[in-house]
Amino acid sequence: MEFTSGISPTSPPSLPPLFDPDAKQNSGPNYKLRLILSGHTRAISSVKFSPDGSMLASSAADKLVKIWDATVGDLIKTLPGHTQGVSDVAWSSDSQLLATASDDKTVRLWSLDSDDAVKVLNGHTNFVFCVNFNPRSNLLVSGGFDETVRVWDVARGKSLKVLPAHSDPVTAVSFSHDGTLIVSCAMDGLIRIWDAESGQCLKTLVDDDNPICSHVTFSPNSKFVLVSTQDSTIRLWDYQSSRCVKTYSGHTNRTFCIPAVFSIVGGKYVVSGSEDAKIYIWDLQSRQVLQTLDGHRDTILAVAAHPTKKCIASAGMEKDLTIRLWYDDESIAAKSEDTVTTDG
Amino acid sequence: MNASLLNPFNITYPTAVQTSLPSQASLARWDPSGRYVAAGRNDGITLIWDLETRSSVRWLEGHVKGITNIDWSRHSRYILTSSKDWNVIIWDLTSEYDPPQRLATIRFDASVTSAWFHPKNSQIMVALLTAGDAYVVDRRKKYRGRIELLEPLEDEEESNRSAMTAVRFDPSGKHIFVGTSSGTILVFNSRTKTMVAKHRIAGSGVIKVLVFAKSGRRLVTNSSDRTLRMFVVPSYPTPTPDQPYVEYDLEPTHRFSDPINRNAWHAMSFSPDGEWLAGGAVDAATHKIYIWDISNDGQFASTLDGGREPLIHVHWHPTKPSIVSTTNQGNLLIWHCPTPERWGAFAGGFEEVDENVEYQEREDEFDIEDESEIALRKMKQEEEEVDIETGVDMAGVAKVRTNGDADVDTAWAEDEDDDDLAGWKMKLVLEDDDEM
Repeated sequence: MEFTSGISPTSPPSLPPLFDPDAKQNSGPNYKLRLILSGHTRAISSVKFSPDGSMLASSAADKLVKIWDATVGDLIKTLPGHTQGVSDVAWSSDSQLLATASDDKTVRLWSLDSDDAVKVLNGHTNFVFCVNFNPRSNLLVSGGFDETVRVWDVARGKSLKVLPAHSDPVTAVSFSHDGTLIVSCAMDGLIRIWDAESGQCLKTLVDDDNPICSHVTFSPNSKFVLVSTQDSTIRLWDYQSSRCVKTYSGHTNRTFCIPAVFSIVGGKYVVSGSEDAKIYIWDLQSRQVLQTLDGHRDTILAVAAHPTKKCIASAGMEKDLTIRLWYDDESIAAKSEDTVTTDG
Repeated sequence: MNASLLNPFNITYPTAVQTSLPSQASLARWDPSGRYVAAGRNDGITLIWDLETRSSVRWLEGHVKGITNIDWSRHSRYILTSSKDWNVIIWDLTSEYDPPQRLATIRFDASVTSAWFHPKNSQIMVALLTAGDAYVVDRRKKYRGRIELLEPLEDEEESNRSAMTAVRFDPSGKHIFVGTSSGTILVFNSRTKTMVAKHRIAGSGVIKVLVFAKSGRRLVTNSSDRTLRMFVVPSYPTPTPDQPYVEYDLEPTHRFSDPINRNAWHAMSFSPDGEWLAGGAVDAATHKIYIWDISNDGQFASTLDGGREPLIHVHWHPTKPSIVSTTNQGNLLIWHCPTPERWGAFAGGFEEVDENVEYQEREDEFDIEDESEIALRKMKQEEEEVDIETGVDMAGVAKVRTNGDADVDTAWAEDEDDDDLAGWKMKLVLEDDDEM
């Protein structure tokens, strides 16, 4: 525990060592493994940092959702309730509520104060695959294998809109930073942008080769969407002009829905898992792979970037079953090469 | 954010009722973000509706008699309600509970006709009482007090002082405009509380309502002669000891009335850009909103028919072509501009055109290009830097004109900030449901 005191958010930042030949300043990411969290017994489908940065939520095929302390790696809570595997988890903006999407065709809402689901949202007619809150967290959007996107009233747990969005399973859906737009993507290879208020389709983006879309998310200013496709490519689209402005490749993604996320702390990167059990970090502008993180023993289905710290969380499938937290922190890296393992 | 993808040609005025919210309300007002509507009821309760979920999210219980006016602070954190029970209550919506905490109760010695926040600081407010007197109440530590707005009169005139019948801050907050029962508009400086101007409005009669366009350039009055008059707000000189105030007649640039039915008006409201004016007609049998096109010389544009429940209040959305109107049965009608579904949006790389366009083939359109060249060109294009973090459009933030040199007045108003910060979020209150 002596080790963890050095990284608690309250302690003053330690200075970088003066004579460290390996210390590279401003030379790109230098992530190192810090924590290994074990607990899930089947493939981990999603990890998400809470918006306040204090917690990490994970969901897995073992039907469980777990909440971890993001700094020391302790298990805070296990949320049982889903009757099938859980595919996605999302935090409300005040870090008080969790929403989960499951193969039991429900979306469940969890409050940190209670052990049972506070709401069960019924409506999807097949597996629910993805879920997200809007910035005010009064709305929830979910997508699934019934090929629809649904918008829910969080306070009442009632469905507000059903968008006949795609002609194949919906793999990702999320709101823009101001909550006025929804972006969805599906295995039909289309990325659609919707008006959140009216539910009307405003735009459809499609690549020439029409590869299966695994994941989509808005950039922090919502001017671009970052799309992962199963041709082992990640593209950044300017949806106004329907133009692909950046292409990131090098990783392997042919089978699973692997998300790509932005990391904007300490530098601007795109981070994604890969089917070769590595994590890839690209420079946002130059599109070069700056770092790959080794350690997992299976396909990495879940990655998340910490909202305020230089920290990445990742999790692997059946042959791995660990959640790993990687830090880019010179003071820590210089002090120790150890990793802390916690069991949940 | 969605504005850039929506059809810009639709943005004018609303044309159809989108939804009806039963509220038992007597008036309803949008918050400055346009996400909420506050509805004041005759039983003293104020409801807050969340328009995104179309559900009531807060229930403000505190008054024992009907609500006469509602005002929102600039970032929607505070709500002011004035009531016939002689009280003005200020509510803080950051409170975690429903009903939220009362921040302050201000008691007067008569029924309150209307009350408003200062546009720059919600700790300053002005209240108008049924007796015809108006007060500026300052809740800040340094300036705490209650000052009556008084027209300077000679002793012999004192007996026939005209009653104040309408009051409003101008959008910059520098001046308070007061309408009177004798058809005059008095302008007071908010800081000094002294009168800086007096305008006679010819033929007006009692001035019932004053409404400003968001920019502060235009003012509309509703008078007992069933006419809405629009004025260009004049600039006022800094008062000098020799000339404490200016006095002249104000000539309206436009008059709006219904020449056929000669109906009076309950309320009026400007569109966000100030280019349209909506007037809610007094009519015993119908619900009618008249729309005038200000940019087109005030021409009558349209009548919105909201069915058979007569209208009693109308308020325009702060940024969109949307209106909330209140019926005498207490229902809120939310008007919007319906947009036809654009089916072309469902196909990638597809553009809808209104008319047939003769396609001009580019010279090299079907030339076979070397693949490596294409790849190289694509690479080049992708070199361009992208900005994923900043440059968020701030559309809808209208610039408010300050009337004259306002440095002292602005500094005074902004002293002791009210903590009404942009970007706060109302705490979500989960509703209990029976299944759980």
